[in-house]
Amino acid sequence: MNARQPPKHSLNIVDRPLSKNRSEVPTVSLSAFAYLFSEYIQYLVDRANSISELEDRLEKVGFEVGLRVLELLSYRDKVLRRKTDVLDILRFIHGPAWQYLFGKTADDLQQAANGDDEYYIRDYDLLVSRYISVPRSYEPFNPGTLAAGIMRGMLDSAGFPARVTAHFVSHKDRQRPITTFMIKLEPSVMQRQAYLEAAKKG
Amino acid sequence: MKMGITCVAFIGPQNNPMYLRSMDPATDDHYLKLHYIVHCALDAVEEKVLLKRGPSDSQDVYLGLLYPTEDYRVYGYLTNTHVKIILLLDDEAPIKDEAVLRVLRRLHSLYVDTTSNPFHKFGLPITSPRFDAQLEQIVALYPRPGASLGGFTT
Repeated sequence: MNARQPPKHSLNIVDRPLSKNRSEVPTVSLSAFAYLFSEYIQYLVDRANSISELEDRLEKVGFEVGLRVLELLSYRDKVLRRKTDVLDILRFIHGPAWQYLFGKTADDLQQAANGDDEYYIRDYDLLVSRYISVPRSYEPFNPGTLAAGIMRGMLDSAGFPARVTAHFVSHKDRQRPITTFMIKLEPSVMQRQAYLEAAKKG
Repeated sequence: MKMGITCVAFIGPQNNPMYLRSMDPATDDHYLKLHYIVHCALDAVEEKVLLKRGPSDSQDVYLGLLYPTEDYRVYGYLTNTHVKIILLLDDEAPIKDEAVLRVLRRLHSLYVDTTSNPFHKFGLPITSPRFDAQLEQIVALYPRPGASLGGFTT
């Protein structure tokens, strides 16, 4: 087995700009992540008393990650401006944030038909759930809850408190079910949004 | 007598003070005064943020000179996660905006480093000694009056 020297980075890892060229960005091995994630879920299954508690704990972990991810990304991406509009932050999550976390942008972003405080983001093959199959006895559980927690962390620290839940939707064309994230923004955000719209017009 | 950066403060998204440090040795009374000045600076930050509602691309991080008080000049910086970095300067000489911006960016980088720590709790006061030491290093970069900016000695 080859022993390789770890690459030396001249700049502090946080100072290096986000580069468009994929080969320059240091990445984590997918199998390492898959192992770690599966161990973590086993750890949680031992300790949690119910499925909802399991989901809660997983989501909390994602929340902490999300807080830090937003801080990091908004620092590194020099041209990024502070988002005050709901659509802006959702597009940011759908695009650069997903790209940074999972190597590709999310697949779909749409607003729900009923009420404008609900949005859906879809990913056809969520990275974290790729190597996990949920048995029938754990049916409502969705490992995508980790990603849902990350999104909630990002929304919360950007000033848009919301509830994010992950759902599996099976699609006839695809082997694996699509993960749909339902984002429900809190009323305070919608009020602020309405106020901003009015201020822009008047 | 030391001049230059007198005080650095980090305020959290809920306007909770996370870190306030005077660069000169200060008494408790002096700290009270600094807290008061930083608190007033928060109002100025809010004002600046509200004023920029019109054109959507002016949501800049660097807020510039917030307001001059009797002894100090107050500079503000607002990050994407609503964390405010307030800098108090003791200088009377004309200030270069770029120098202040440089220091503020490095402070932002330091903050991002600190929050990347998985054991860091958001919103609570920052008590890490490493943070203190690195902050001192960054502040030392800001040119003192009398010292030439280019690094050459005359």
